[in-house]
Amino acid sequence: MPKIEVSEKRFYSLIGRSFSHDELENLLPAAKGELDEVLADAGILKLELNDTNRPDLWSTAGLARLLKIYTGGQIPVYDFFSRAGAMKDSGAREIIVDPGLKDIRPFIAAFAVKGGKIDEPALIDIIQSQEKLCWNYGRKRKAIAMGVYRSGLIAWPVRYDAADPDTTRFQPLGGERAMSLREINREHPKGIEFGHITEGFAKFPFLRDSKGEVLSYPPVINSASIGAVEIGDEELFIELTGTEIHSLLHALSIVACDFADLGFTILPVKVRYPYDTPFGREITTPFYFQTPQEAELCAAEKILGESFSADEAVRCLERMGCAAQVRGTKVRVNPPEYRNDFLHAVDIIEDIMIGKGMDHFKPVTPQEFTVGRLSDAEILARKVLPVMVGLGFQEMIFNYLGSRRDFVEKMNVQEGDIIRISNPLSENYEFVRNSILPCLLQAESVSSGAVYPHNMFEIGKIARLDPSQNYGAVTLSALGFLSASADTGFNAVNSQVAAVLYYLSAAYTLAEADDPRFIPGRCARVLIGGTPAGIFGEIHPAVLENWGIQMPCTAAEINLDALK
Amino acid sequence: MENDVAQVVASLHPLEVRILHAYKPGDVIDSGRLAKDLGYKIGQSNQAVSWLAARNLVQEKTRVSHTFYELTELGSEYARSGTPEERIVRLLSEKGALALPEIARALGLDTRDTGSAFGALAKDGVLRMDENKKTSLADGASSVRMTRTRALLDKALLNRALLDLAGGVGVLDETELSKDDLELVRSMSKKRGAASSPFRTIEREEVSYVLLPQAEAVRRALEKAGLSGEEIGVLTADMLVKGTWKNVSFRRYNLSSQAARVLLGRTNAYCDFLRSVKDKLISLGFEEFDGSLVETEFWNSDALFMPQFHSARDIHDVYHLKHPTHAKQIEQPYLDQVAAAHENGWTTGSRGWQYSFDRDFTRRLILRSQGTVLSARQLTRAKIPGKYFGIVRCFRYDQVDATHLSDFYQTEGIAIGESVNLKTHLGFLRMFAEEVAGATEVKYVPGYFPFTEPSIEVHIKHPVLGWFELGGSGIFRPEVTEALGVHAPVLAWGIGIDRMALMSLGINDLRELFSFNLENVRLRRSK
Repeated sequence: MPKIEVSEKRFYSLIGRSFSHDELENLLPAAKGELDEVLADAGILKLELNDTNRPDLWSTAGLARLLKIYTGGQIPVYDFFSRAGAMKDSGAREIIVDPGLKDIRPFIAAFAVKGGKIDEPALIDIIQSQEKLCWNYGRKRKAIAMGVYRSGLIAWPVRYDAADPDTTRFQPLGGERAMSLREINREHPKGIEFGHITEGFAKFPFLRDSKGEVLSYPPVINSASIGAVEIGDEELFIELTGTEIHSLLHALSIVACDFADLGFTILPVKVRYPYDTPFGREITTPFYFQTPQEAELCAAEKILGESFSADEAVRCLERMGCAAQVRGTKVRVNPPEYRNDFLHAVDIIEDIMIGKGMDHFKPVTPQEFTVGRLSDAEILARKVLPVMVGLGFQEMIFNYLGSRRDFVEKMNVQEGDIIRISNPLSENYEFVRNSILPCLLQAESVSSGAVYPHNMFEIGKIARLDPSQNYGAVTLSALGFLSASADTGFNAVNSQVAAVLYYLSAAYTLAEADDPRFIPGRCARVLIGGTPAGIFGEIHPAVLENWGIQMPCTAAEINLDALK
Repeated sequence: MENDVAQVVASLHPLEVRILHAYKPGDVIDSGRLAKDLGYKIGQSNQAVSWLAARNLVQEKTRVSHTFYELTELGSEYARSGTPEERIVRLLSEKGALALPEIARALGLDTRDTGSAFGALAKDGVLRMDENKKTSLADGASSVRMTRTRALLDKALLNRALLDLAGGVGVLDETELSKDDLELVRSMSKKRGAASSPFRTIEREEVSYVLLPQAEAVRRALEKAGLSGEEIGVLTADMLVKGTWKNVSFRRYNLSSQAARVLLGRTNAYCDFLRSVKDKLISLGFEEFDGSLVETEFWNSDALFMPQFHSARDIHDVYHLKHPTHAKQIEQPYLDQVAAAHENGWTTGSRGWQYSFDRDFTRRLILRSQGTVLSARQLTRAKIPGKYFGIVRCFRYDQVDATHLSDFYQTEGIAIGESVNLKTHLGFLRMFAEEVAGATEVKYVPGYFPFTEPSIEVHIKHPVLGWFELGGSGIFRPEVTEALGVHAPVLAWGIGIDRMALMSLGINDLRELFSFNLENVRLRRSK
């Protein structure tokens, strides 16, 4: 969930009025947002925005825009967008794309701005928008990366090249000297963070102007010259590069609308591709690519539980910033330039709901009759439970992830059928337990200070690799129990197993078992219908020693699925 | 004063009562005397006298240090089976002359012990060795030292029966030994007894007490009350069978003494909480589902219409299996339908996510990261109308701390039926809020989940916890339901019950829910 910080002053000046914190908290749900924290001294609001399909709300300007319209403001008109067949004049501002980028990072979109002034709060805002957009929506710059430049220094046209990473050199922002692209990947902090995006390719993306002056090495780092934006700059060039053209154009539109709302004039840029794109080989950006979406009014009625007149539906949508018209039994929405989240009629219907306001909808108690029922596993567990409690055992509940040390090494067993995680966060949570016994022994190992005897059990899941399964693994319900006391022994656990299985009406036989977790000759396998369904015995002193346990232990584990 | 005496009388233990009857003020008592006169064991004497001292009925008179010689394990062995010297003499008297190694082998002694025993006996003139290095008994010779050692060992064994000292091992009292015997015992003793000596030395303090004048008033009161200290503590089955209970009186027990702790079998408070939530949901007409811990990207995310390029699906958000890495296949027709829904919306009326669905990636095996997986699976076999839930273990790529666990329970479910719409949806949320969470006020706000539209969060005011977000919910997107073969509206919901669990258990760290600490778990009570 993106979190942003906005300056209260800037935020309310964009909305055109201010709100108390309570008022703001009541309004934010329209943006699926929450007020996390108020830094009163700094005049900063910390906000959390929950909708990952609404990146337009992750900036001061974008959020202010929605709240302004929602509280009665007009839907803004952005006249700088080109459309298919209606490209805006881009003057000399052109980007020529190298054919070599087709399989590396094929798309670029850009515009320039003038007429505003970059002060410190504005610069902080631009950097925050760039980060949120490229991190969350742009998948940590992999799908979308953004660069901002001093457009006054650029000699048009700009070239978006596929460059040799070893011979191409420039001085990166925050660097002391000229470095090759490959050196940047290895040594520059941004290269270390984002270099993996380009590392697998023979050539790297590279932006320079017609005089060969370097703009940047996207998606990693700007140059120290054209790429060094400063407070006081009045003319900027903004470009986004990426791997998918719809999300790229959408992200560019968001940034352009934000700059427009901040009072800048947007100057379109033409991009010339040597290969086909869904919008042709020449695209002037910002570019409006969205298509109208429709919803049947009766579908809205079915989902929202009450009927809406067409006019009412249009008013609700307009309150959400969406120009809409009535088309017979449907409403048609022209998605705003900065939005691309209308996939289905239900998305329109949700906007009608939010536009109307949640307070309008009153809960209705559902009437359809259904029968409640516990799962088979839970029903069985609830039969086992009173028997174990009656035997004097304390019910435990453990985590399922653990370490090789606990699940394998201390148990004196091989990895065998245990499930291993390929990307563990830590070696402490690298394996899924295939038995409850290590958990019980771990509990015993930290409980030596508790008055003896110790009797504990757990009814829970275990999982094992099983190549015969489609998913290569099975999950089982199991009962595990352990006694630690000076006088526990094989006969005690044998009687406990007999009691449990008697009350579960399970006919069973015992077979000798050779299991390194138990003392040889004091371990038995439980067979139900001739199939192994459990094991019990006296825990081997070598295992107890591994756990640092100095009290004899007996334990049993029974596969409850075998009893069904 | 009279009240005090009455109180004292009521609280006296039989061990105290018998002492008060047996002695008069001025008499001196110690553990030896109590053992002889009343048959008290050392522990009983100490207890009784310390209680009487606390009541100011006796006073310490003398305190003398006292040395005992206690049989070690080796000493007990010597006392029962003979010392090495005795055994050598016995062997040679039976077998005639033998070489030392033969003696060692026959008696199972090591050669060094055999050698030193021979040395001592030879010095006493009991043994001799011939030119063939054969050892034999010297005629008519005997060792005073050996005889006295035997006498001391026997005496120590006997004392075990008399004195309940140090767990019933044989002892010799320093004061009962002659000077010569004392010297001999000392030669066979080590302080802090090493096992290679037959005796170890123990220092103990003997304390004697004098009965004080005020004990007399108590004794008279006891007499008046008819308390002899011989009252019965335990009613036995035998007394009931024989009817002898009619002729005895029962000792009164002291109510102020601490009740001894009982270790009992018990359910776990957190599990009880989870079961109570299940029972509540059952009562609301929900059927429980369950499933595999190992899942695929398909069911965990793709079937829920989360685009494969979504940032929440990066490598560091779910746990992948090391081996095998992929499921053999994904169930059809769901694979084709879900893939088409992602690519172009299929027949759902959606434009889809407009990308090329990766059928290899979708087979990747993971540990389920959300309970909604099981809701998606349930859709393929759900009844209409139908209501389902699960409290299921999920795995998250989170650093474990007080508010995050690597595996934990999620409470999730669905309700399917033609009457499911926003308003009945709110009705369900109100039901959960009031019935499951005990909310006093409920608030609904728009939310966001990739698989529901519209989406609603429910915030509740809890009588103890105040306002918090109870859960999220929404109506499954048609891209989810249609692709899984369901054509009725489906409400999907999830509620966070852990905060309520922590509150009911009186803890504030999620890790404590899965505590390994037996004592914490067995003392825990739910509110």
